[in-house]
Amino acid sequence: MNLALIDPFQLAQDSPDALINDLRSGHATTLRFSRKGDYLASGRVDGKVVIWDMETFGVAMKLHGHWKQIQSLSWSRDGRYILSASQDCRACLWDLQTQERIRIVKFEAPIYTAELHPYNRNMFIASLFEDRPHLVDITDPIPVKRILPTTPLTDSIPRSENKQATTSAVFSVLGNHIITGTSKGYINILETESRKIIHSTKISSGLISLLRLTSNGRQLLANSTDRIIRIINLPDLSLITPSSSSSSAAASNNNNPSSAAGAGQDQQQQGKPQAADSEADPATLAENIVLTTEHKFQDLVNRLRWNHCAFSHSSSTGIADYVTASTYMKKDIYIWELRTNSLLRILENREEPAIIEWHPSKPLLACTSIETGSIQIWGIEPQQKWSALAPDFTELTENVEYVEREDEFDTYPQEEHQKRRLDREDEIVDVLTVERKTGEEDSFVLPVLFDIEDSEDEDQELVKMGVGTLRKRDINEGKEYENDADDVGKAARRRK
Amino acid sequence: MALLATASADNTINIYAVPANPTPNVPFKLLRTLRAHLAGVNAIAWSPVGPPYTLASASDDKSILLWSPLASDFPISPSPLVGHSNYVYSLAFSPKGNMLVTGSYDEAVFLWDVRAGRVMRSLPAHSDPVGGVDFLHDGTMVCSCAGDGLIRIWDSGSGQCLKTLVDEDRRPVTSARFTPNGKFVLAWTLDNSIRLWRYTEGTCVKTYQGHVNQEYSLSGTVGSYYPSTSGGQGQGHGVAEAFLASGSEDGDVVAWDVTSKDILWRGKGHKDVVLSVDFGRTKAGKGLLVSGGKDRDVRVWMLEGESRHDLAERGGDEMDPNMGMEMDVDMQMPAEPETETEVEAESDLINGEREHARHKGGRTEQNPAGGNGSAMDVDVDDAVGTPGLGSA
Repeated sequence: MNLALIDPFQLAQDSPDALINDLRSGHATTLRFSRKGDYLASGRVDGKVVIWDMETFGVAMKLHGHWKQIQSLSWSRDGRYILSASQDCRACLWDLQTQERIRIVKFEAPIYTAELHPYNRNMFIASLFEDRPHLVDITDPIPVKRILPTTPLTDSIPRSENKQATTSAVFSVLGNHIITGTSKGYINILETESRKIIHSTKISSGLISLLRLTSNGRQLLANSTDRIIRIINLPDLSLITPSSSSSSAAASNNNNPSSAAGAGQDQQQQGKPQAADSEADPATLAENIVLTTEHKFQDLVNRLRWNHCAFSHSSSTGIADYVTASTYMKKDIYIWELRTNSLLRILENREEPAIIEWHPSKPLLACTSIETGSIQIWGIEPQQKWSALAPDFTELTENVEYVEREDEFDTYPQEEHQKRRLDREDEIVDVLTVERKTGEEDSFVLPVLFDIEDSEDEDQELVKMGVGTLRKRDINEGKEYENDADDVGKAARRRK
Repeated sequence: MALLATASADNTINIYAVPANPTPNVPFKLLRTLRAHLAGVNAIAWSPVGPPYTLASASDDKSILLWSPLASDFPISPSPLVGHSNYVYSLAFSPKGNMLVTGSYDEAVFLWDVRAGRVMRSLPAHSDPVGGVDFLHDGTMVCSCAGDGLIRIWDSGSGQCLKTLVDEDRRPVTSARFTPNGKFVLAWTLDNSIRLWRYTEGTCVKTYQGHVNQEYSLSGTVGSYYPSTSGGQGQGHGVAEAFLASGSEDGDVVAWDVTSKDILWRGKGHKDVVLSVDFGRTKAGKGLLVSGGKDRDVRVWMLEGESRHDLAERGGDEMDPNMGMEMDVDMQMPAEPETETEVEAESDLINGEREHARHKGGRTEQNPAGGNGSAMDVDVDDAVGTPGLGSA
């Protein structure tokens, strides 16, 4: 509600340019903002997940449950649940209300990324290290893992590209489709329900390391090891006719793997009768999907390799205005403007940035530093408007000739003046009704925990060696029992 | 069970259990007396999130303490919140319970990170002791007011002053709070007036008069009631109407209609200045006003004749505004220990339904707080153990 009072010039600035905070808690390796942007989750080298409150920039919660580095984090839509994936081959779903792991899924290989279904927190996709990706249903305590295909749907795949791995995967906006990127530069579009590839395009010669969607789902950001960041236009996937629509609609209803909630399902049901009617619009056929690369960002001179990239916050239309990226061996954060297709700004970070994330609704950037694992927050330095402090003054850009009001210097007796003023106050006021923005969803408010800072002691990065000498604490120091999960019990017993 | 907290100049805070259907003969049960402050307690506020319910208190000992009154007699970590260099005079929680705003006699307004007990921002707010502070219901802004006659609106995220409201006379402002929907600011000034400001435009839209306020730092609240409808047998779930309630230096509790500025009701009973008033609802939905006076009494007043659910006891008479919202002197708190020097100042009610939820396993998300009167959300009051700014 503060927007009405903020200087419009300040609001017009929509990309960060100043370092405004530095958050430190262990060595952060991955970041993710909650959907509404009020919390930031960071995963650490030691396997802990830290939830930051973006209003206070303080630690709101710590989740202990992994033994190795956190690879990716994914929030549920309402912000109450978070999925963490770690190099210890496990993905955990946490309930932030109780800070408990409600589901633990073990894989055969370390996890690259795990992403929750946008509407169904009991379903996620995991892309694994040198293994095939999985679509996992965790509605029941025993997870149902389904393997997703990787081999692109192309007639002639060169022999060299026969063996490839899926390196990143995202859900479409409604969750009906999955978009994956492979180690040979292919983008595959899969149907969530049938787990079939309906479209493949080779966009790059290198491995696709990261995929991201805008909030309207029409643009795809792909980072690739061929040193180019691409923005790819997507068709509206919710309009694509499901492959199983006419023949197996009934069957798929019985055994619907995606018990997708809310809008996801609505969309599916809208799609089905349409398809049954006719083969109406050729644009809705999966065969006619065309992916076009809208923008390519690269550094032709230095041939920079991009470490991580992100879309900026979306405007009301769901379109992002900027793309930001971090690179290797340099302290710079690059920001490109999509409208002009040009580099807007290079922010010089204090340390080399790795993972970089843009706040979902504000011009705010968070990035982890490779060296120390601290989290830098970039934003806009607020400017105090001095006229806000002195209400009888206004800021003028040029001279204005003062025009005296007709009654400006009329004098009235004090009482009459007072009475006139009170009589003017005849407006009907509503002090109760709270206006809500359309489309605003309720989001979860984390419980306020007071004992987090006490547990901070174990995070001490520096250990005293002697007088005046400190050394960096080994992250696994004092936690040797965690090296092997099975030994935990024994270690605990030994301690007794 | 709803809870009532009262803060007193004798350094204590009392926690009472509020029965669902209070009756005049049965005193509220005193659950706990919290003693840790070294000087009078000026203000208390319940955290809007819970369970567990957290209470914050501000005191003349310059510190702010956090309590978990249902669990412990002692302040909880990270208390005490130390930083102010003079009396802490008012405080308010942010809607998520993660921040506190405090106003102090050191003329500054502090924003605190509640979890860590750390000062997030100190705002060089005023050139006189800060009277009242409040948080907007969406957490983006805070307001503060002071003896210098200014009301300032701050951006809680950036710490920038967004707006300053000033009256022609620049009378000291002793208390300021946002209305439940956050569109207006109510300000108590030492010229027997309470003003309603549309702060986005900086205009005063209403002036409420009829109480006496020249010397003490009074405060009050916006409450809601469901007026009796003439035809319906209490079936129509009426639209909530708002009233403004405030204490007065002549010992009355005064309630105004927000739009017409008419006095709806006047509660007589206190024998001295009524310093603070708060509104809340019991588990059964009964509207309660509580008032703390300089006569060391806390009085509880019950709204009667509401045509809400099956509570409607009196019908008709919609022509008489006084009948629409009748309040009776319901009970008087048992006399407090004789060690008291001065008295109960402030009172604060917590939503009965949320409290109820705790016993069912803490499913707070099922209890949107706006459910029965948004007045419950803005529940921070400013307590006064010392005389008002004007005479200080």
